[in-house]
Amino acid sequence: MQLSHAVVVGKREYLTRVKSKGFWLATALLPLFMGAMVLGPALAASKSRAEQRLAIVDSTGAGLGRELAEALTRNAKEYERGQSGVRFEPQLIAPGPDPAAQRQELDRKVRAKEFNAWVWLTTAGLKENRFEYHSESLSNVITQERLKSRIKDVVSNWRLRQAGLDSAKIAELIRPFDLETVRVSATGSRAEEGMSGFMLAFGLCFVLYMVIIIYGSQVMQGVLEEKTSRVIEVITSAMRPSALMTGKLVGICLVALTQLAIWVAALVVLSSPAIIGAFVAMPAGMTLPSLSPAVVVHLFLLFLLGFFLYSTLYAMIGASFNSIQEAQQFAAVAVVFIVPPLMFIMPIINDPDSTLAVSMSFFPFFTPLVMMLRIASKMPPAWQIAAAYSICLVTIGLMIWLCARVYRVGILMYGKKPTLQEIWRWVRYA
Amino acid sequence: MTPSIELRGVQKRFGDFVAVGGVSLLVQPGVLFGLLGPNGAGKTTTIRMMMDIIAPDAGEVFFFGRERRPEDLKRVGYLPEERGLYRKMTVVDQLVFLGELRGLKRRQSLPKIERWLERVELGAWGKRKVEELSKGMQQKVQLIGTVLHEPDILILDEPFSGLDPINQGLFKDLFFEYKQRGKTILFSTHVMEQAEKICDHIGLISQGRVILSGELKEIKRRLGGNSYRLVADSADGGGGDGLAGAMARLEGLPAVDQVVRRGEDGAVKLLLRPDAVGSEVLRQIVPFLAVKEFRSEEPDLEEIFIKAVRDAA
Repeated sequence: MQLSHAVVVGKREYLTRVKSKGFWLATALLPLFMGAMVLGPALAASKSRAEQRLAIVDSTGAGLGRELAEALTRNAKEYERGQSGVRFEPQLIAPGPDPAAQRQELDRKVRAKEFNAWVWLTTAGLKENRFEYHSESLSNVITQERLKSRIKDVVSNWRLRQAGLDSAKIAELIRPFDLETVRVSATGSRAEEGMSGFMLAFGLCFVLYMVIIIYGSQVMQGVLEEKTSRVIEVITSAMRPSALMTGKLVGICLVALTQLAIWVAALVVLSSPAIIGAFVAMPAGMTLPSLSPAVVVHLFLLFLLGFFLYSTLYAMIGASFNSIQEAQQFAAVAVVFIVPPLMFIMPIINDPDSTLAVSMSFFPFFTPLVMMLRIASKMPPAWQIAAAYSICLVTIGLMIWLCARVYRVGILMYGKKPTLQEIWRWVRYA
Repeated sequence: MTPSIELRGVQKRFGDFVAVGGVSLLVQPGVLFGLLGPNGAGKTTTIRMMMDIIAPDAGEVFFFGRERRPEDLKRVGYLPEERGLYRKMTVVDQLVFLGELRGLKRRQSLPKIERWLERVELGAWGKRKVEELSKGMQQKVQLIGTVLHEPDILILDEPFSGLDPINQGLFKDLFFEYKQRGKTILFSTHVMEQAEKICDHIGLISQGRVILSGELKEIKRRLGGNSYRLVADSADGGGGDGLAGAMARLEGLPAVDQVVRRGEDGAVKLLLRPDAVGSEVLRQIVPFLAVKEFRSEEPDLEEIFIKAVRDAA
């Protein structure tokens, strides 16, 4: 393989892409899209509004029903102020002589939409810590949680009063508590909001995922473009397929690095205290989780590992088939490998040193995303990073070898869609 | 003289299929060489082995009198049978890239590109994307890409297929221009008339083997045999049985091997036995046919090819 050939190819790949409008559009729009993806659900959850007309039947004789109704009405005020996502319209119903018949009557009213749900406070339930709740839909988990917590407040209050405390004393004793979160790291300790640390890990993992997938499939499309347009015929007469492959992978990799660098630079500038302070009033002593230089270095390293793992796979797929349509089916294989870490984001961020997180980070195709989550949450032990990266590098070596063998045969094969056995035969050609 | 291109026993098989079964060729400098043969004869595979796109299973390829080295390919211009360009690149960028593939720097190729685009009347199209060009224009761009680095050897696989008449003329002019400058051109084609008009050397390839090669004139003289063109007034056939009778009588002559009807104006072609003398035969024909024309005729390549294939089998 001649280096000068790979340079010619790499230069073309880099310049045609970076000069295109699409690149700059994606550079500008992807962060917006990402922001929407990360913040959207959280925002939607906080802004989501639910209303429930709730019938309360109280047969405890302790006035708990009335207290609950009052608590829920207070909740309605919080709702108006936007502090709570659920608004209850409580309605007290006196217990009748025949509980069974009354239950049926209440269910009928739910069906008739006179109210959405009913809850029955019973003496037995008070002992067993459970009350009956009937509703047409039970998927309203947020509403149920809210109701449960209100019932718990009311019942605890009542129990404390039974134990001889007065209401004022109780209110004083039961006050909400919060955690003042401080991140401990090699560079010192600093106060940080827990949720934003989560967002950072999630965001970085997601960026990595997007960039690997986007540029991996660009490699595939690039290979297919040369094959379908037959440009490949002229190029292979001037250089070895390995030089072409190297140039293409490195060229596209540099495009991705350029884009990542722009984003990181933008993030560093935009998240500097001076700029943030101009827009948001930060609590004293509180800072946003900033991108530490170590995290940035690992972001780039993990990108390189992920890119070469997946782009070789994509290049192999591109070289084997004749059209985007044919290749797309197999491109799904790549997604199967990259997606699993995304499904474990929560447990990994919550406990970055768990057996699950550690073992997943040693499977090379998961390493980039899992390690990103772990490193952004809490720096893993050095030996784990070294081991995971080494396994990844060895796998990349294997992938490049495999890809080069499929590539050199595949790029000149037109016509019939090859079977997997045929592709395997290409690998074994001398 | 050192041959420009030489193949020695080059072989290639794909699985059980023998695509090229031992091809040897010699192409001298300044020659327009036609690699001829029907579709599937192994022409493209042979050319791809010359260009080091695929490796032969056996045999050697020589350029400029020595075993091929990677840098030799920088002195070769190659036009593949399957042509294509990057659709999204501009014409100039595309040509710069093709030049770079053959070791030409951007600043070296830019003035050449400009001259070439002017010559083929694409001067105004340099900044346009390839996909905006018509097919004929793309063919011109591809041709420029093939010759931009001023190669000493041109290797072209079916260069005339799919070309419009204007581009055919352009390609031919370029071939002759190159030949005059002492450069070597090898091209493949399955259309014999084309080769006959422009080649001075040929190699006939059939089922992966060269069955005939050498200077076209010499081959024609050697294999063309002894043939004559005969035009006669058939109404004056003498036997009263018209053309059919005349044909039968011609075939009956001992010196005549075969009589072939020509489509136009009732002319026939007489293939004589190798030792027969034309004037003797004419004397035998005159009694029964009013001969209007009788002259020695060159065989065409198609006939030579068919005969060579038959002899090889």
